Amino acid sequence: MTPSISPNEAAMVESIKRNLATQGKSSDALTFADLYTKFSSKIGPGSVKNKWAVLYLLKTVSEDRINQKNMPSNAPANAFLSSLSRGGLPELGLRNDSNLEGYKDNCKDLRGSVGNLGKMEKGYSDNSNDFRGLVGTLGKMEKGYTDNSKDLRGLMGKLGKREKGCSDGNVSDDFRSSSNLKDYRGKGYSDGNVSDDLRNLSCGGDVSRVLKGKGEVGKGWSGGVLMVSKDSENLRYMAYKEFVDLWKEENEVSEDVLVRDVLYSCQGIDGKYVKYDKNEDGYVLPDWMKVPRATRNVVRKLCELGWLFRKVKGYISESMNQFPAQDVGTVGQAFCAALQDELSEYYKLLAVLEGQAMNPIPLGSEGECSGNYMSFRRLSVWFAEPIVKMRLMAVLVDNCKSLKGGAMAGAIHMHAQHGDPLVNDFMKRLLRRVCSPLFEMVRRWVLEGELEDIFSEFFIVSQPVKDESLWREGYRLHAAMLPAFISQSLAKQILRTGKSINFLRVCCDDRGWADAATEAAAAVGTTITRGSLGYGETDALESLVTEAAKRIDKHLLELMHKRYKFKEHCLAIKRYLLLGQGDFVQYLMDIVGPELSEPANTISSFKLATLLESAITSSNAQYDDCDIRARLRVKMMPHKTGDRGWDVFSLEYDAGVPLNTVFTESVMTRYIRVFNFLWKLRRVEHALTGTWKTMKPNCITSHFFSKLPQAVKLQLILTSRKCQVLWDEMNHFVSNLQYYIMFEVLEVSWSNLVKEMELSKDLDDLLAAHENYLSSILEKSLLGERSQELNKTLFVLFDLILRFRSLADRLYEGINELQSRTAEVKSQGKSNDKSSEPGSWLGEGRKALTQRAGEFFKNMGNDIDVIGKDYTTIFEGFISKLPVQQHIDLKFLMFRLNFTEFYSQLQPITRGKLF
Amino acid sequence: MPREIITLQVGQCGNQIGMEFWKQLCLEHGISKEGILEDFATQGGDRKDVFFYQADDQHYIPRALLMDLEPRVINGIQNGEYRNLYNHENVFIADHGGGAGNNWASGYHQGKQYEEDLMDMIDREADGSDSLEGFVLCHSIAGGTGSGMGSYLLETLNDRYSKKLVQTYSVFPNQNETSDVVVQPYNSLLTLKRLTLNADCVVVLDNTALNRIAVERLHITTPTFTQTNSLVSTVMSASTTTLRYPGYMNNDLVGLLASLIPTPRCHFLMTGYTPLTVERQANVIRKTTVLDVMRRLLQTKNIMVSSYARTKEASQAKYISILNIIQGEVDPTQVHESLQRIRERKLVNFIEKSPYVQTAHRVSGLMLASHTGIRHLFSKCLTQYDKLRKRQAFLDNYRNHPTFADNDLSEFDESRDVIESLVDEYKACESPDYIKWGMEDPDHALTGEGNASGTIDPKLSL
Repeated sequence: MTPSISPNEAAMVESIKRNLATQGKSSDALTFADLYTKFSSKIGPGSVKNKWAVLYLLKTVSEDRINQKNMPSNAPANAFLSSLSRGGLPELGLRNDSNLEGYKDNCKDLRGSVGNLGKMEKGYSDNSNDFRGLVGTLGKMEKGYTDNSKDLRGLMGKLGKREKGCSDGNVSDDFRSSSNLKDYRGKGYSDGNVSDDLRNLSCGGDVSRVLKGKGEVGKGWSGGVLMVSKDSENLRYMAYKEFVDLWKEENEVSEDVLVRDVLYSCQGIDGKYVKYDKNEDGYVLPDWMKVPRATRNVVRKLCELGWLFRKVKGYISESMNQFPAQDVGTVGQAFCAALQDELSEYYKLLAVLEGQAMNPIPLGSEGECSGNYMSFRRLSVWFAEPIVKMRLMAVLVDNCKSLKGGAMAGAIHMHAQHGDPLVNDFMKRLLRRVCSPLFEMVRRWVLEGELEDIFSEFFIVSQPVKDESLWREGYRLHAAMLPAFISQSLAKQILRTGKSINFLRVCCDDRGWADAATEAAAAVGTTITRGSLGYGETDALESLVTEAAKRIDKHLLELMHKRYKFKEHCLAIKRYLLLGQGDFVQYLMDIVGPELSEPANTISSFKLATLLESAITSSNAQYDDCDIRARLRVKMMPHKTGDRGWDVFSLEYDAGVPLNTVFTESVMTRYIRVFNFLWKLRRVEHALTGTWKTMKPNCITSHFFSKLPQAVKLQLILTSRKCQVLWDEMNHFVSNLQYYIMFEVLEVSWSNLVKEMELSKDLDDLLAAHENYLSSILEKSLLGERSQELNKTLFVLFDLILRFRSLADRLYEGINELQSRTAEVKSQGKSNDKSSEPGSWLGEGRKALTQRAGEFFKNMGNDIDVIGKDYTTIFEGFISKLPVQQHIDLKFLMFRLNFTEFYSQLQPITRGKLF
Repeated sequence: MPREIITLQVGQCGNQIGMEFWKQLCLEHGISKEGILEDFATQGGDRKDVFFYQADDQHYIPRALLMDLEPRVINGIQNGEYRNLYNHENVFIADHGGGAGNNWASGYHQGKQYEEDLMDMIDREADGSDSLEGFVLCHSIAGGTGSGMGSYLLETLNDRYSKKLVQTYSVFPNQNETSDVVVQPYNSLLTLKRLTLNADCVVVLDNTALNRIAVERLHITTPTFTQTNSLVSTVMSASTTTLRYPGYMNNDLVGLLASLIPTPRCHFLMTGYTPLTVERQANVIRKTTVLDVMRRLLQTKNIMVSSYARTKEASQAKYISILNIIQGEVDPTQVHESLQRIRERKLVNFIEKSPYVQTAHRVSGLMLASHTGIRHLFSKCLTQYDKLRKRQAFLDNYRNHPTFADNDLSEFDESRDVIESLVDEYKACESPDYIKWGMEDPDHALTGEGNASGTIDPKLSL
């Protein structure tokens, strides 16, 4: 990492040693030092005089070897030459063609010598055996050095490239200055070119001897001593002097001062002249300074680095000071640390540059080689890479200032998507560090369920909720904090896994997940200690998450099924809340029925609870798990005045922790809605079968044979027949609705639930399955939002049926009374027959009876007609609305109701009559 | 508070099929011959207390009353392997043990004679149940005890337990063979009257059809009574499954029958069962598709009532209602599909009046149907009676008994009228305007059924 070449032997040795040392080849460095002492101690005739040149040659050779692959074929020699020329003179007379050619020859030879050390050795072996030995050793050593310095190679390559650019710049610059000179010197300059060149080469010292050994350069070479022609030198010197004076006149401050200032400013410090200007928002030269516009521009340009640095540094120190404050967070901290590291690299560079800037810039006139000096041009070359990095950092700082945590990582990740490998590498390095806290969070979350996120940087946020809603609401994805390199699905999986662990810990009080987590980690092969994951290993992360999720979900589901008996509870709900346990429902209806007919506010729920208890014990429910039985409760819903018990009674099932995650309050409310509907339906069916019982065959038929007056009998038969027909119709509807509910709604939904339950892999699946189950029941039983109208109609029908029931009860009561009266009358008639005055009393009784009966039947018949009419109208409305319901498949219900196509035959007629 | 059902086994045939029925129930509920619950049967959602009650020592005792006028069959049971199953107090055998001599009148009058004893037993058993649902009577209509005493019991039950259901499993005689009971047509006719008037539901078990099924479907050349009885017991147990295994629907007899019997007089049900086997196959899951089972149930060859109808009449016969009880591993989604297929193929004719298609799973393919075709069975009975009556044959045996004393054969005529009107009503069911039936014929007062005016039906009045 020599910024420039100074013909300083010690420095060169140091440089090689340092290189070796930085490579970690300290033993090699020691050997080298040893060899060098031997080498330098050789004084006297036959020994190498310009030892620096030899060392430099060897170093360059080694560097070139490294660079060979990256450089054009003639690059090594070029690099050597350019650095050589830079080491010596500021300019090269490239316009002199012949010179150039000779030069090129030199180059070729040099290249040859560089390419084949052995050959070179042969070339100068005549002159110095010692030297040969030394060079041999050095060569070997350097070879080793080359092999070992692979890492250095990349950097060298870049440096080489830049050096090339740099030398190109120099050349063109030199052109300019030489053209300036031309104004003063005219042709004389070009004449002096050859000697200039030779003098240039003389800087190479005894290398020329080696070159001479190859036997090419000729002219000014004589036994290693360069002959300088004095006259041309004077001319040139004068011109330089003049130029420098002119230049100094133009520039108030010398370049090296400014360079130093620039370097200061690049460290964020105001220099002597270059200061930070708030208005300009940048480092500028003060306006009063007399500097050429070009210089001003160059300073401005170079100071961009300073401006960027200021920004980055400012951010870092700001964040560091703030920490531990809310808006920095660990990711921000990691980001700062990574930036800090980058900056320290930058400091190193600046230190070197600063060292070089101490050397004055040679201005021709000063003649002597001032070694590694620093000019603006050089600086701009040196700054090329840092400025790219610094710009990146500044952009990141700008973009991430307001961000934190995952969002920050995400933002940086977006910048890392860059084609330039340099940028890409840089960003990856940065990201690895930035993301490490994030990945650590993921790891802990997935394997331990810990949400270690004091600064809320993670893409999962927790909310303090009650245990039962932990699963649904306890944790959620924070989309803003989700970095793009973690996909949505992965994030969801991560969320669920940690959530499962927490669910297990909090709601299930289970420890088994720890084993599952350890197993998962073992399966992936990562340790479950911190820091095992990093950016760029999304695959590893994914597999870890997948494994952990798989095991923990499995564990959780097992727990749900085995310990918490999810399916059993679902079944219990189906049997009790959805009335699947027929005998239980029947008893319950029998015993709470009278109670529920009372106004709602007079009913004691304690009494209902006792009744429920007795319904359980007297039905098959008694064989159920007592745990399940204990969860079943009576619930009285809030009631209005005028409500009957029937309207407010419902059953409730308390699933308990942790199943209340599935059976939440809102879910239970929906279940209760289904229950209320089914309960009502069942009540209607109960009423209808009750009616049937009063008019069952052996009751009815026996009436026909009771000895009644003919007219009454006819009326009786007519009315009961009316009643029968209406009952048939109602019963047909209710029982087919029941069958529909049972087969098409409950059983089908249940079998789907069981299927989905078996397939579900995690609690979310289970929840979804249950949700599907419940909502399909709700929808299909016309309880959904979109079927409200139908539902209303249905309830009107139910109410009509209940009214019919009481009417039918009255009718049959009447009939029974009539019969017993008739019997009475008859027996009286018989006794009267025996008495002295027959006829009138009996006739009157019979007549009155007949009249009353006739009236009764007439009224009843009318009432039945009214109800029947209402019922038919509403029912037809219902039927006609059924096929219009697009959202659910009600064709099953329609199909059942209209199995014999009775209604479809009927419809055209009624339609025709209606319109 | 189970809906208890008390079984009355009357006469030789009644006791035989009753015995088979209890055997089947014991198998299904895992109750041993001694009435003790088997170890393997402690689990399960079955409801045993509908048909059984538990004695103090946890023995399960059938709610059954065994009644006969001659001791042979009941003695056989009491000496058989199931002798400890029944409550011995529930057995009634007439003191003289002479039987009814295949004479309805004899059976009827002996029933009257022993009324006190019989009703004591029934009352005791009824008192022992919390919420009695009804009675099931097993008997044959051809013999003397089953028909005669059975008829008397039906009348008494109707009178005393008018709120309770009375269901009968009535075995109709084999009319293809010449029976040893020559007065069979008389007995049948007289019993049929009681079945029509005093029973809520009659499950018709036609011995002719049972024999036919045994020969054709089970390939038994000469079916024994045991074999046909096992068919009967299968049907009986299957038809009670919904009561014994509570589900969403049809958990009580009322609910079951209410939909099946829309019109009070048409309460004669015929049955079909598939797949049929003679060997006892409790706890065997038969796996066939729902469609298969449902389709087979509608085939006449599987129906346990023989149709004497001529082809033309048969094509007019219609179903009033059907209840299919499908048992086993049933996929509920198949039910609808099967129903649809059956409708598509027009496999079933329903009466135009009201559609009653019902299904319940849990049991393997039993069909309970109210079908108008059954009228041909009654017509056959009538024809046979008419033949006999015309010749005034064998009437002497009847005249010896009070009902027919003084040559008062009005009971026969009355019965004939009842049956005839029943046949008429079934016939009317086949016509599309059944609802209006009776309107044009207001003098149908005897049957009572017909006087419904057309305006009753709201659909038509619109």
